Amino acid sequence: MYLRKLALAGVFALMGSTAMAACTFENAVPLKSLSAAFEAWKSATTAMAECGNLAAELDQEFDKKQPEAFAANPSLYQIGGVSNGSITPLMNAGTIRSLDDLVAKYGAGLAPNQLIKVDGKIMAIAMMVNTQHWMYRKDILDNLGIAVPTTYDEVLAASEKIKAAGVVDYPLGATMGVGWNLGEEVNNMFMGFGGEAVNADGTPNVNNEMGLKTLNMLKSLTAYMDPEYLTADSTYVQQQFQQGKIAMANLWASRAGAMDDAAESKVVGMVEGAAAPAAMAGGAPATTLWWDGFVIAKNISDEEADAAFRVALEGIDTEMVTAHNEDAVWLISGYTPGRLAAGAFATAALNPPPYPSTAAMGVMHMAMDGEVGAFLKGERSAEDTLVAIEAAYVKGAKDAGILK
Amino acid sequence: MAVSRALRQPLSLRLTSAAFLTLWCLIAAFPIFWITVMSVKLPLDAFASSPWEVLFGPATLAAGKGLTLLDIAASLGLLWATAWVAMCRVPLWVAAFTPPNVIALGWLVAAAMLGLGFVLMGFVILPPILNWINSALGLPAILGLTTEHYRAVWVENAFWHNFLNSMKVTLGVTAISLTVGTFAGYALARSGSKLAFWILIVALIFRALPHSVLVTGYLPLFINSAEILRPFLGDAAPTLYGQPLAVIAVLVAINQPFTIWMLRSFFHNIPADLDEAARVDGCTHFQAFRWVIMPVMWPGVITTGLFSFLLGYNDFLVTSLLLDASNQTMVPAIAGFFNRETTMTDQVEAIAAAVSITAPLFLLVMVFQRQIVSGLTAGAVKG
Amino acid sequence: MKFKTFAAFVAPSVLMMLIFIAVPLLLVFGESFYRTSPLMEVVEFESCTPGFGTQTCKTDTKIAPALDASRRMILQTEFVGFENYADVVEPQKFWTDVKALDWAQLMDIDFWRALRFTLTFTFITLPLVLGLGLALALAVNNLTRSLRGPVIFITLLPFIITPVIGALSIRWLFVGEGILTRAMEAWSGTDIAMFAQSWTIELLMMFYRVWSSAPFAFVIFYAGLQGVNQDAVEAAMIDGASRWQRLRFVVIPYLMPLIVFVALIHLMDAYRVFDEVVGLRTQGHVISLQYLTYDFLMPDDAGNRSVSRAAASSMLTMIGIVILLVPMLRRTWADQKGRA
Repeated sequence: MYLRKLALAGVFALMGSTAMAACTFENAVPLKSLSAAFEAWKSATTAMAECGNLAAELDQEFDKKQPEAFAANPSLYQIGGVSNGSITPLMNAGTIRSLDDLVAKYGAGLAPNQLIKVDGKIMAIAMMVNTQHWMYRKDILDNLGIAVPTTYDEVLAASEKIKAAGVVDYPLGATMGVGWNLGEEVNNMFMGFGGEAVNADGTPNVNNEMGLKTLNMLKSLTAYMDPEYLTADSTYVQQQFQQGKIAMANLWASRAGAMDDAAESKVVGMVEGAAAPAAMAGGAPATTLWWDGFVIAKNISDEEADAAFRVALEGIDTEMVTAHNEDAVWLISGYTPGRLAAGAFATAALNPPPYPSTAAMGVMHMAMDGEVGAFLKGERSAEDTLVAIEAAYVKGAKDAGILK
Repeated sequence: MAVSRALRQPLSLRLTSAAFLTLWCLIAAFPIFWITVMSVKLPLDAFASSPWEVLFGPATLAAGKGLTLLDIAASLGLLWATAWVAMCRVPLWVAAFTPPNVIALGWLVAAAMLGLGFVLMGFVILPPILNWINSALGLPAILGLTTEHYRAVWVENAFWHNFLNSMKVTLGVTAISLTVGTFAGYALARSGSKLAFWILIVALIFRALPHSVLVTGYLPLFINSAEILRPFLGDAAPTLYGQPLAVIAVLVAINQPFTIWMLRSFFHNIPADLDEAARVDGCTHFQAFRWVIMPVMWPGVITTGLFSFLLGYNDFLVTSLLLDASNQTMVPAIAGFFNRETTMTDQVEAIAAAVSITAPLFLLVMVFQRQIVSGLTAGAVKG
Repeated sequence: MKFKTFAAFVAPSVLMMLIFIAVPLLLVFGESFYRTSPLMEVVEFESCTPGFGTQTCKTDTKIAPALDASRRMILQTEFVGFENYADVVEPQKFWTDVKALDWAQLMDIDFWRALRFTLTFTFITLPLVLGLGLALALAVNNLTRSLRGPVIFITLLPFIITPVIGALSIRWLFVGEGILTRAMEAWSGTDIAMFAQSWTIELLMMFYRVWSSAPFAFVIFYAGLQGVNQDAVEAAMIDGASRWQRLRFVVIPYLMPLIVFVALIHLMDAYRVFDEVVGLRTQGHVISLQYLTYDFLMPDDAGNRSVSRAAASSMLTMIGIVILLVPMLRRTWADQKGRA
């Protein structure tokens, strides 16, 4: 599936006019796009490509290339797929253009909440939202008479019961792989306890009560996980779910659809979604809201921008959404939330914070990611770990110019 | 050559040595064998928890995709025939049909033809025939196996595009490395000067450098090259990022230290009297090189060339950072999507792609195996 | 050979190495004494997030790069001397920990942890690769001629297979309930998780490296064995040398230059261990020196990267390999002197 899109560049020359049927116009301007590679982007870029002359590059490490590729003059790509995290370097460097004119010209079909405004200017068009939410095996919880947990303390209690019953290999799954995922989990929990990791002046603020609670909660959770959790990413956890090895996990909404894919999953129809648990009773869910969407490069001609915008809009139209309804929680009209999207909606209803995408948070995220592993492995105390996170942050922040 | 008395051995030693080799061959081949097995199963089987399910593929069989006894026999036969042709027949044909001065080209053509023949037989000619016989005899399928992932990778996903890119980069790297390297290697072997010595020592240190340092240094320069070069070249200034030629240049440079050290030792073993005689007859150094050295240097060049080929073909760091999708080679294309957020079907397709890219290497080693050993025996290994 | 001819012959090769290796290296060296960072300013901004159906907007302040008139980031470069090196090595903590003999605290510093692993990895795999390579070469050399072809072919497979793919296939065999992990569980009767603690991961990495590098040693040694002087072996036998003595005093000395050559190549390759970290995804447990540099260089979500610290750590990595190579270089030096 994925390779097909990856190799699109080669195929488009062959596609000729037969594929144009799905697009309302024929694009004559050669265009390139760079985005992430998960299912929703595959669907969107394939639909864009139907207009012709688009080379879509899908790369899960797109964020390593994007800042520099968009800073080049002329920009190497016209269309960029971003999330609220990866838009930050592009915004900061001023390499994407404001879309107000183009939206006025072509964007009649867009819903108001798809327009991502920064300082009053539309800078991106969102196509979907994503959040980590609670997925669980309904059959197991029902059989053991466990209510769906709403706080992490309840998660621990439920895990204990599932472990005692011995029905699955591990009660919990978690995306705690070092590299990016662990930092995300730490920050989720920290914000869930009401923390804000970076002060307004750019100094770190994790060495406190909330930091301690975060670390201790994460450590308690790991007792119910596959001991290889420090290498687990979303695909790994998704696979554990599909093979019936785990009973619950805080997993991305974009992964929910895979649970009901009969060709891969042994648990079709058994997995349900609920709101992400809160870290403390009465608090907001310990998770963050994300969106994914596209931006248009600044360093290109207006004609190219015009064509790029129209092509990108074709990729996120109602026709695409009806064909790929289960791939994501779409923001596009025509989307009907399925059974597995319920958890994402329940999470959003409880108002978790959006991911704080700033230069400082980028550094903090990787500092958490790099330092917490040693604590979870038991090589370092919680207090020392919090000091280490702050020290790592300060070094990175100096390199990034945030601190002097 | 008769086995000399000194090397004749007691039975116990022979047995130990045979057991050791058997064990090693198992360890060496197992991972590759296993990913090949996974690549021909549906995801439910490929990632099943029982090894027997992975081997026999019940889910794949249930989906109506399986092999009969006849199919299994035919596939094994085809594998054996390919190996036999590659090892026993190809050397004779090459010797018979290629003029000696383009012997390397002859080998390449032979390897390519062999590969093409294998694919034609295995995927185009045999299946319909076997299907016909199977249905005529009513043979039941007994082993779950499907080639759909290969079809998906190569036909639907146009993996051939990445294959061509890989070939472009790999052959470019090999050809340029060898051309540049033979001249340098020859001069370094024949010159006893201090400078030659220092070039070799510095090259040795360059050989030891971690690549990520160099490569990540190139990225901003390559992306912005159009802007950087505009003052010199005007509007013709190229964006080097994504250009196969630029990647070839980087890989050749990274590969130079090893190439010149290898080739230098080969040239050391060609007696200096040979070209000195030619020089006495009035040849320039270049003429002596062209008419005296070139005809005898092929074993060394082929061996060194194989190492260059492997480097270009297997490179991940340079190609993944410096090439864009339209010029992407096979390794980053596949590695890209092993690690990533994909479905299990994607992963099995990736495994099929991984096995596919190993196949040409198989072929290459089968065909060139003797050249590697005899080339090394002839030169580099004498220091 | 006249200098002019020599220069003409080596020029293309030297030029390529200068442009693509020496120049970047000098730039990195320079960079390691400076800190380059974008000029940041505090800005007030309004951002909107798409909720489900409704949009929430809020105004906040954040620290973001200042842009010049042509909307480019303003980069500041200041000379910091050895500060980048100190940030990587953490000399104060290093000395306190060394004086206190506190190994765990010392391993808390990424650089020393990476160095510890890189050196362990290099020096444990080195004898294993040489030994296995030599054993294979001797065993294959004993084989009847007709079997040698297929055995050499299979032996070379781990060496030719694309490293990233090879590492991934090893990961598959062992990760989670991988087939070989299950086999070991069945055999030992205990629950085994290979990716749960550092030492098993290191073991796997070393196994992978020996698996993929030994064939190179093998093929070099095997080629060398073809040239062993049979007369010398027979003479030794007539003198009553045992099989082991013949190996020890005739064959190995003959192969010595090759052993040094393979050791040299292996030292270089093992010291820059990187594919294993990426392919087996071990960074949560084990990192190597080259990975440390790579990690500094890779931008985070917000596009920040620590180029200066990466420069410092790559310089330190380079100094390390030069120190390791010194004995080898001296040998080569002596050889060259002798030859000239």
